[in-house]
Amino acid sequence: MSDALRHEVEQWLDDNWDSKNCCAVGDESYNQTSWLTKVVDAGFATPTWPEKWYGRGLSSKEARVIEKAFQARGAKGWGRDRFHLGAITVYKLGSDVLKAELLYELLTGPICCLLYSEPGAGSDLAGIRMRAVKEGDEFVVNGQKVWTSNAEEAEYGMLLTRTDIDAPKHKGITFFIFPMKQDGVEVRPINQITGESEFNEVFITDARVPERFIIGEYNQGWKSFQTAIASERLIMGQGITARLGAAARGKAPALLRLADKHDKLNDPVMRQEVAQALAYRQLNALNMLRAKEEMMKNGASSLASLGKLAMSRIQHGEARISAKILGPQVLIDTSEDSRNANFDAAKAYMNSIGGGTDQIQKNIIAERVLGLPKSVDVSRGIPFKDIKSG
Amino acid sequence: MSEFSKDDRKAICDTFERLLKDEGHEDALRRTNETESGFDTKLWQKMAELGLTGIMIDPKHDGIGGSVEEVEQLLEVSGAFLYNGPYISTCVMAPVLLEACENETLASEYLKKIAAGESIFAIAGCGRSGDWTEESKFIAATKQGEGWALNGSAHFVVHARNADFCIAYADMGVFLVNMKDTGVGITPHRSDDPTLRLSTVTLDKAPAQKLTGVDEPEKALALATALVALAGEQVGATRRIFDMTIEYLKTRYQFGQPIGRFQALKHMAAELLIEVESASTVARHAAQALAAGAEDSALLTYLAAFTCADNFREVAADAIQLHGGIAYTMEHPSHLYWRRAQTGQWLFGSSDRFRNLYLTQMEAKL
Repeated sequence: MSDALRHEVEQWLDDNWDSKNCCAVGDESYNQTSWLTKVVDAGFATPTWPEKWYGRGLSSKEARVIEKAFQARGAKGWGRDRFHLGAITVYKLGSDVLKAELLYELLTGPICCLLYSEPGAGSDLAGIRMRAVKEGDEFVVNGQKVWTSNAEEAEYGMLLTRTDIDAPKHKGITFFIFPMKQDGVEVRPINQITGESEFNEVFITDARVPERFIIGEYNQGWKSFQTAIASERLIMGQGITARLGAAARGKAPALLRLADKHDKLNDPVMRQEVAQALAYRQLNALNMLRAKEEMMKNGASSLASLGKLAMSRIQHGEARISAKILGPQVLIDTSEDSRNANFDAAKAYMNSIGGGTDQIQKNIIAERVLGLPKSVDVSRGIPFKDIKSG
Repeated sequence: MSEFSKDDRKAICDTFERLLKDEGHEDALRRTNETESGFDTKLWQKMAELGLTGIMIDPKHDGIGGSVEEVEQLLEVSGAFLYNGPYISTCVMAPVLLEACENETLASEYLKKIAAGESIFAIAGCGRSGDWTEESKFIAATKQGEGWALNGSAHFVVHARNADFCIAYADMGVFLVNMKDTGVGITPHRSDDPTLRLSTVTLDKAPAQKLTGVDEPEKALALATALVALAGEQVGATRRIFDMTIEYLKTRYQFGQPIGRFQALKHMAAELLIEVESASTVARHAAQALAAGAEDSALLTYLAAFTCADNFREVAADAIQLHGGIAYTMEHPSHLYWRRAQTGQWLFGSSDRFRNLYLTQMEAKL
């Protein structure tokens, strides 16, 4: 089976993908929509899904045959059943009508953006206030989202809204797939402390979304969202293990090279600090390898949830030691080493705040891995409109 | 490389655990601590009957031919119980050194005694500094007729008083000493860790047999094996005291609720879990690498040495804090783990030293 499949996919790529120019055969440059359409039509984008939904009903092991062939040639569009969060969520939770209407368009277009966090709902995400009010067979949406990546490019966003303010906070939420290209959707880039602008604010004023674009059930959005976030964590986990493979191979770690370059490896105090920082990084890499092995064997690993928290200590620690290695030179941003050290010091917060702060992560580990009793949420169970905010 | 399958390994660990549940539980440990020898010989005999004392010994010398991988996992089991017999010196270091000896008749005689549980070995491997380094010269050997005589003092020798024989690291090589011989003086010290028996061994023209062929590389292998064994023991102890602490957080009530609901304690627990799992992972990796003679075995051994020692120290220290007042009593077992953790900080050299050696290994990649 897998030999025949490998042969088929190799043949198809020979016919369709120009590895040299990284685009479709006959094209001069990469055209996302037309290429993705080819891949989806061939059943290679979502091989684990049934034929009806553009797949081939393969096992994930068989799907890897396709992914590997694509990766080997640098061809795009593989593994959309693993990485396209919007499509995966619609596939898992959408009605057949919604799937028929949107799935093909989602798979052949850019990835969806995530309209989750709000200025008043970060760690406490169920506290979102963006309103969606029913008007005929549509909902009218008003409010603000924040920390949205790819908001400019995205055709659709996965949108969490408040649809019942009289219900307790987890019970009055509806989850939509939301068309971004319409009047009343304004995207403003955020200037981050690193100087980058990966994220945006999204202001939504009287924008519209059809009722049939609800993912899951009306007012049951928190439940649907749990499914989406589980897929997202899985994607992030896969990202972590994929990156590890690249880092493990024999090269001297960057921090060690920096210390060596600036002649700090003769200082016994600095040696201890550098060694411990390298150790934390290596230990986390070894833990994540173990997590991967456990996941392959048992389908789950409690170790995986430790990776992000461990990474915060690693990144903040390495940034602090990099600055020590450079000494007062770190104040002057003219050298690349200084710029990197200062950038890394700021960027470390991306890991310790983004995607759930370290403190929230510790609660999750304590409650879900160690089985300690859940913290009391005083806003749980009371009507949303009566919850204190500020 | 070990011949043991995963199932064999699990079976032998399970057997050891059952034995310790019966005879190495906390009450038994406390009773043993009260004795002068601090060593339960009956339990040792039962371990020998199960083949545990011959774990690293080749079957041709009556052992069961395991490797450091089995040793590491067995010590995870015994570490959980804070088992305190002379296992690392007798069943881990002595076999590595004796197997390397060119005089096979001599080696075989003693390896068989170890496998049978008849002889206890101490290792006189360091001087006053406590560092097991090549530079450390604390025993001088001189030719005396056919044999040798040793002069000097070895410090921090574990279980010297219970030992029948001692392997001494001297300036002219590695020697076997009968502890009953004249010229062997043992000064026992009171240690803060009640499970630890430390002595200074003074040799005054003590007769000795040279273990020919045992030199720096063999000593280094014995030390690496001991470090991984100790790392395993620390992992077992770390996990046990951690599990006990988490259980306490679930069952101790204050302010009408389990204290494990308070975030201050939750966050400490979550942070400690990283240390527990890191120690666990690296001890296993180091054992695998060392058993396979892998290129990175020295690097991983040093990493395991300071990580497992430091993480045990940290987890045991926080365990007392998380328990609160109950753990400030001798009756509660927390302090036993905490004291054993202090022991591990120094037994074969300090964490700072191994951290530095780990960095030296890393520098080879530059």
